Formats: sequence, structure tokens, C-alpha cells
Amino acid sequence: MLLGDVGLGMIKMKKLYNQRSSTSLRGAAQTERDGCIILIWIWACAGVKFHGLMAKQSERMKTGSAINASGSGRCRGTPPGSLARREHAASGASQLQPPPLPSSTMAPSRGVQLLCLSKSFTKCRSIPHHPVTTATTLAWPMHARRTYSSFTETLSNPANKLQSYISRSSDPYLNLSIEDHILRKSPPDSTVLFLYVNRPCVVIGRNQNPWTEVNLSILNAARGTNELKDTEPPGIGAVDLVRRRSGGGTVFHDEGNLNWSITCPRNEFTRDKHAEMVVRALRKQGIERARVNERHDIVLDQGQERRPSDPEDTHRTPYTVDEGIPKPLKVSGSAYKLTRQRALHHATTLLESPNLHIISQYLRSPAKHNIEAKGVESVSSPVSNIGLDLKAYQQRLQEVFAVTYASIGKINVAETVGDEYLNIPDIRKGYDELRTQDWMWAQTPQFDAKLDFCNGPEITMNVHHGIVKSFDVEAELVDETHEDIRSALVGVKLQDVTDWTTLLQANVEPFNDRCAAVAKRLEELLPVPEFPRT
Amino acid sequence: MASRYSVARAARQLTSVAAKRPSAFACQQWRQIAQTPRLFTVSAQLKEKKYTEDHEWIEVSADGKTYTLGISEYAAKALGDVVYIELPQVDLEVGEGDAIGAVESVKSASDILTPVSGTVAELNSALEDKPGNINKDPEGDAWIAKITVSKEPTGKLMSKAEYKEFTEEA
Repeated sequence: MLLGDVGLGMIKMKKLYNQRSSTSLRGAAQTERDGCIILIWIWACAGVKFHGLMAKQSERMKTGSAINASGSGRCRGTPPGSLARREHAASGASQLQPPPLPSSTMAPSRGVQLLCLSKSFTKCRSIPHHPVTTATTLAWPMHARRTYSSFTETLSNPANKLQSYISRSSDPYLNLSIEDHILRKSPPDSTVLFLYVNRPCVVIGRNQNPWTEVNLSILNAARGTNELKDTEPPGIGAVDLVRRRSGGGTVFHDEGNLNWSITCPRNEFTRDKHAEMVVRALRKQGIERARVNERHDIVLDQGQERRPSDPEDTHRTPYTVDEGIPKPLKVSGSAYKLTRQRALHHATTLLESPNLHIISQYLRSPAKHNIEAKGVESVSSPVSNIGLDLKAYQQRLQEVFAVTYASIGKINVAETVGDEYLNIPDIRKGYDELRTQDWMWAQTPQFDAKLDFCNGPEITMNVHHGIVKSFDVEAELVDETHEDIRSALVGVKLQDVTDWTTLLQANVEPFNDRCAAVAKRLEELLPVPEFPRT
Repeated sequence: MASRYSVARAARQLTSVAAKRPSAFACQQWRQIAQTPRLFTVSAQLKEKKYTEDHEWIEVSADGKTYTLGISEYAAKALGDVVYIELPQVDLEVGEGDAIGAVESVKSASDILTPVSGTVAELNSALEDKPGNINKDPEGDAWIAKITVSKEPTGKLMSKAEYKEFTEEA
């Protein structure tokens, strides 16, 4: 029954994909971002897409996932990735990995080991396997406690050359911190695969500017002051904002996007190596248009004619067009973090995102043209879903990983990690760091914000390390009010601002029209949303 | 008895730091080299440019109080086109082995580690406008920071020749 549904879903998704590619070629306005993302379908043109979405919804309904009537394919009030994700996590754990037994694979604490060696071994084995799904659960099943306390031990054991982990958490901060822990603690000559799916969030690169990359005012729909226009599709509720530790551009994650990460020795690392591995996995799942492009991302070629091509060549497909038109659609974006001995390559994979139509809104900042920023700017390209079932693909990717590294040996460790790993002090530390105001806002490379007014002087405000350094008004038009505003703003830390109008009202006397206009413009260009979202 | 001594000697030799060659595969922690602390004024051998296994270089000023830090030509070449350099703030106190910034190139972030403890005294702010300079002259104009040293470095430092050998091995 379930298999039948999945099969049906796959056919639908394939159809949807074919239809979509031709739709998007016909004249949808397309922009996109690095790391992945955006396809703005002109709304009128999106009939096919919407139809596809409905097909998808009906499939979801069959699999028991909550749906609302908004047409966004997600229930607004439901915590992201709730039902489906948990189901998936639970079954994923039992299908893909053997439950952690108190045997040599886990390196339990000494006491436990002694216990297991004694007569009570059978008793130990009979402890039922309860996947822990929330961080708030207070009493862990015994095996879970053992699992996370010995995670670092297993991870750093020099004997474990090949390791594979899947996360059942959908917390982006936690998954990134577990990933960073893997980068720092795994043996120097080991290779580690880590797969995770995050709840809806926008993830910016280490050296990016959130005000130019993200439409910050719509992140928290419940508290937001900016109403979406009637012509725009509905928002998807609360979306987290994250600054990761690796380089690259801004990406959007949701429950239809699988993140894969591979940590390997630095001297074996190339930027294409693992993207090629992923292309092999995709082709094994029947996606023959997939290839690695010159930006080390994965795209689907859109050529209409099939030409002979070497099936082993991961940089070319039968549908590659040399003229560049039609433009390939991006489905996976890469970023890297390098340390002395280790290299981390992580990337997104848009498999079945229900939010493709709305991603562009989140990644289109109203301040883009008013801010001149140092640092890294995202590169746009049109994106698409691949249309594969996430769970099946996840398993395929693990298999291809095992095959790729078969020469090193067998996978030594295959485990599921979860929210309880937040109790590991190093992971907790990384998690807290990612959620500090300083990391989110003050880490932003220096930038100049230009405040323009219909009738009034242009004002340039310089911000460095998240602090207003200067406030310059066109020389001939400067007056006393500007002087007052300047002294109120210079030295202000952006992360301390909740509302620019309140700030200026409290510090500028009298608070006149010009002052209000400056506050309004600041509110539009440099909003500072609540972070981290509560 | 004599044989027991010789076994002990052999064991000592095998475990001593000097006997170990840095291998690209072995765990290369900061190696604590046994040395008596030297006063700043006598650290003459540090006045030439020294390199770390993390591919940074340091050079001490004439008065021995300030170290200039940068990344090596080898590192700059390996990183590819540098698009941004994250610099520390002046007056930041740093400890040996701390990350004081990062270099971004082709979507990759790599930390810049300081091999000396001290206080950041000066930054090469020209790199904020032209990060690409790192690819042109990493061991000259494109230095990264100057650090007023509070303690002699204790980690492994290599001369140019040793560093060359080290990079060829890797």
C-alpha cells in the first residue's frame, strides 16, 4: 500500500518535473541565488505548478501528513516537519541503521560494558528501542543516554575510518553544530557522511550580509509588520534565520530538501569529488539530466534533444547544451569549511520542496540596491525540485557513499543522531554560538546603507562589526535635525535595535517629520527581527 | 640489566618528539617542543620568517615585540581566488592557536590561526577592499595582522626550507 503510493507519487513528480521545466522555459521570470534557490514563477503562469502542488498534496494526504487549505502545502500552525518528519525519522532509524546495540560498535561507558559482559548481556539487548524525538523529553531511554554520551568517543575512534550518520532532528542550529563537531572530532584520515533535513529556514554564508540577502521582515509572519501583497502567494509561517560557518551564498531549506555533508581528509579533497558522487546517486535513481557544473553545484540539463554522451561523465549529460540556453536548473548548492587536516563539503538537495514558489520572496531583499556591502554576494540561478522521494534517495546516497569508499573498507559506524545530542557540551557550545546576536548580526562584513528620500538629502550610514560608525548627509543639505540623528545613531549596535522609530523618538528632540522619515526608511532597509526566533 | 636499559632507550627514542616526522596522515596536534623560555631579546632565530603547519607565517619586528602574521604562498595558491578576508578587531586579545579570522575563497571558509599569543595591534585594512591581494603577494604586502606578543610562541615553527619540505611531503 505504502509502496504503491510512493510509486504513484514518483510518477506524478516526474510528470510534474517535465511539465515544470517546459513551463519555466516559456517565460517565467527567474532569479535565483547561490546555494540553491529561487524560481519565481509568474503567478499567472503557475497553473501547472499549482496543479502539481495539488497532486502532491493529495499524495501527502494519503501518507497521513497534515494539510491546510491555504494552498501552500503546509499547515501553518503545525511545527515544521512534525508528523511526516517524525514518522520518517522513526522508520528511517529502523530501516537504515541497526538499532544501537550495546556492542563494540558503540563504545559504551566502562560500567555498561562490564554490565553487558556479565550475565545480563541478554537483558541489555532486550532494552526496547525508543527513538527520542524531542529535546524537551526529560527521561531518556537508557540506550539513548548511552548513545549520545559515547557519540564523541565513537566519532573520534581512529579505527572508524568510514562513518555514516543521519539526523532525526530538524533544528538547523543543532544539525550544523553536530556537523561542526564531526569536522573537529573525527579522525584525520576518516571520511564521514552526515545527512539531515531542516525545518524551514534561510541559511546565509559565513561572510554574508543578512540585510541584502534575506527579506528579513517576513521571516516571522506572526509578528511581522509587513503584510504581503494580495497578489503574492501566502507565507509559510515562521522561518529561522541561520548564519553557517562555511562560505558561499544564501539558501532556503525545508522538509523537502535533503542536506548532505561529507568530511574528509584535506589532502584528498577537491571541490567536485563529492558532488560527482551525488550525481552518481541521482543517476542511479533515474535522474539522467543531473551533472556537476563549473560552480561545483548540481544542475539538471534542460536540452530538448538527446545526444550521445558518456554515462560515466558526471560533468556532461545527453541533454547538455553548449550554448547555455535553455539554462540548466540548479538542484543542489555547495559550500565548504576547511581546517588544517580536514575538509567539510556540505550541500542542499531540492528533492520535493513544497515551497519552491515562495522561496524567492524570502531571498529577495528590499535593501539590495541600497546597501553596498563587502563580503560575499549570492549568485542567482533558476532552481527546480528533482522530484524524488526523500527517504528512498537518502538510502541510495548512503549506498553510493559505501560503494565510493569500498576500497577503504566497510562502513564502521552507521548511527542516527537526534535532539538529545544537544547535551554533549561541545555541540551545545557550537549551538549557542550560532544563536548569539554577535554571530548573526555583528559578524556581517562592513557595509554602507544609502537612505534615499523622495524629497530630502541622501544619507549614507556605515556599519562595521554591526555598529553604526558614521551617518553622512549630503553636505549642502545638512541641518540640525540631522546632527541630532547622527549623535543618536553613531555607536548604536544594530542587534540592540528592536524598532528604529522608538530609538529615535527616545533620543531626538523634537521628533519631527524628517526624523520620522529617517526612522521609517531605516525600518524598511535595516529591520532587526527577533533572533533567535522564540 | 643492560638489555633492559637498551629497551628503555629504544622506547624513549621512538616516543620522543624529535624522532617523529610530521606526517600528512598522522594527527598533527600543536607539538609542544621542550625548550626553556627565552627572553624576547635573544630570540634571534625567530627574526627570519617562520611558518606553521597551518600555513601561516610570522615575522618578528626589530624590537622583538610585534609579530606580523600572514598566510603562505602555498596556502594562497591552494585556496584559489580569495573573495573575502575576515579580520579580527584591533585590541583583541588572542591566544596561541586561536582563530583570529578567516579567508573565503570559492565558497570555502578557512580559519586563520595565530601561532602567537598577544594583542592585535594593527590590521591590513587594505585587504577589506582588495581581498584578491592575498593571491598576489601573500608573504609581503598582503600581510594580515600585527600582534603585540605577550608570550613566546611554543608551537612548531619551521624555517622557509623546512616549510618547503613540509609542503612537498603533503
